[in-house]
Amino acid sequence: MGRRRLTQMEYLVVRFPRSRRVRIDGEFNGRTGEAIEVEAGSHVVSLGPPSNFKPAEREIVLKDTSELAPLEISFELDI
Amino acid sequence: MVNEPLPSVRDSPDYRFNPTTIGKNTNSLFVCLTFSGGGTRAAALAYGVLEKLRNTRIVWKGVEKSLLDEVDCISSISGGSFTAAYYGLFGERIFQEFRDRFLVVDVEGALVRRAANPVNWIRLASPRFSRIDLAAEYYDEAIFERKSFHALAAGRGRPFVILNATNLANGERFEFTQDQFDVLVSDLGPYPVARAVAASSAFPFLLSPISLKNYPHPESFTLPPDYLGGLKDYETNRRRYYWARNRAVYVNDKELPYLHLMDGGLADNIGLRPIEAAYQRTGGFIRKLINDGEIEKLVLIVVNAGTESEDTISKKESPPGLKVVAVKTATIAMENYSVETVEVLKELRDARVRAQRNIAACQGRLAACPGAPPIPGLAVDIEPYVIEINFEAIPDAERRRRFLRLPTSFVLSVEQVESVIRIGPELLDAQPEWRALLESLANP
Repeated sequence: MGRRRLTQMEYLVVRFPRSRRVRIDGEFNGRTGEAIEVEAGSHVVSLGPPSNFKPAEREIVLKDTSELAPLEISFELDI
Repeated sequence: MVNEPLPSVRDSPDYRFNPTTIGKNTNSLFVCLTFSGGGTRAAALAYGVLEKLRNTRIVWKGVEKSLLDEVDCISSISGGSFTAAYYGLFGERIFQEFRDRFLVVDVEGALVRRAANPVNWIRLASPRFSRIDLAAEYYDEAIFERKSFHALAAGRGRPFVILNATNLANGERFEFTQDQFDVLVSDLGPYPVARAVAASSAFPFLLSPISLKNYPHPESFTLPPDYLGGLKDYETNRRRYYWARNRAVYVNDKELPYLHLMDGGLADNIGLRPIEAAYQRTGGFIRKLINDGEIEKLVLIVVNAGTESEDTISKKESPPGLKVVAVKTATIAMENYSVETVEVLKELRDARVRAQRNIAACQGRLAACPGAPPIPGLAVDIEPYVIEINFEAIPDAERRRRFLRLPTSFVLSVEQVESVIRIGPELLDAQPEWRALLESLANP
């Protein structure tokens, strides 16, 4: 894969049974099911409204991912 | 003049990037400019590039317009901040007024005359009033029509202008945006644009710092989540850690009740660091638009008016005197960071293109495999362009030397100003990525 560069971005996929906007560190960034390009490091991930999902948020540390091997996390439908 | 505290109730828009576009501007063609420092030379080069963009007609999404109509942000330093702020405030008026109002004016002479006026001697004797305040007053009256950031916030919204200074205490970049002022618990709205430009261009030793108050933080104050995450990243992402730490430091208002700002070039003489942050940070305005699939073409034009002074130090056996050492130590950092920040943006561009290609290639192969689940794709494939113009790219050696030896000052001859205005478009036309961009726009 080659030397990791200082400027390398990381990749995250958020799974949820519905299509939903993804919130990262309180900011809308992408949608569920997509590869979302995010800076390496500690992030808090949640979903956009409505609040019918659990857990309310997930804390992750993004590192050593790639566009073909993203970090995948899931939220469940909270009926 | 001291900056004001945050109001308890806000009755007007504050100065932040607004993702909603107005008029002919779109997010799908997202254009950012950076204007370097370099006195009137930098202001003139930036002006010439704005003229070129105005004169470049394109058709985008079926609408005919100029490329200038699509400029979404401008990050500027020192001399470049005069052009950026003027265009941000007054739009196309810049093409009728800016030459006579600033570019061909002996600004240094005007400031000296003000300082020599006996009326100002009493004021300058006060510890609360210094040369930079005199300069800010002059810029306020003669150039910026006493406009505050309220005017920028209430205006066209694009381009979003980021005027950059340097915090003298820690050498870190300080930007005049409400996001930055939030951490000072201060309202940027009533602050004069002229004072921000003065801070951005407060050249060491010639001018004194602009001071701001860091107000007491209420119990309820919290840093944005992106800062809190960054503060955990010392091992994982050192760049993000230092970005967060250098912003979060202002929460400690008891230890740091004031900050003193000088020329933005001390931290970054190209103006690229805000764009880098906007691209990389989860709260960055470029990052959010990319991840939401709104940007199709991302264009970054770096207008670098950097020069190269003749090395007379190395010709002499005896070391330079105090004055030369002082000027050199103040300006060496300005020169050193320039190359690195452009290369960082180019690396980010290349990495994004590579990721898009890899995903497309793998998806293509998987399409041939019955039942194989698809790979998650990015919201949209973007075409990124990083275009830099600088005097070093002038092919003729003698002509290149003439431009590289232009002084860094706020007075140039009319001939010098006109030659710098004319070279900007020429340098742009010679850039392969500029030509590739125009080709791509002409053949969607």
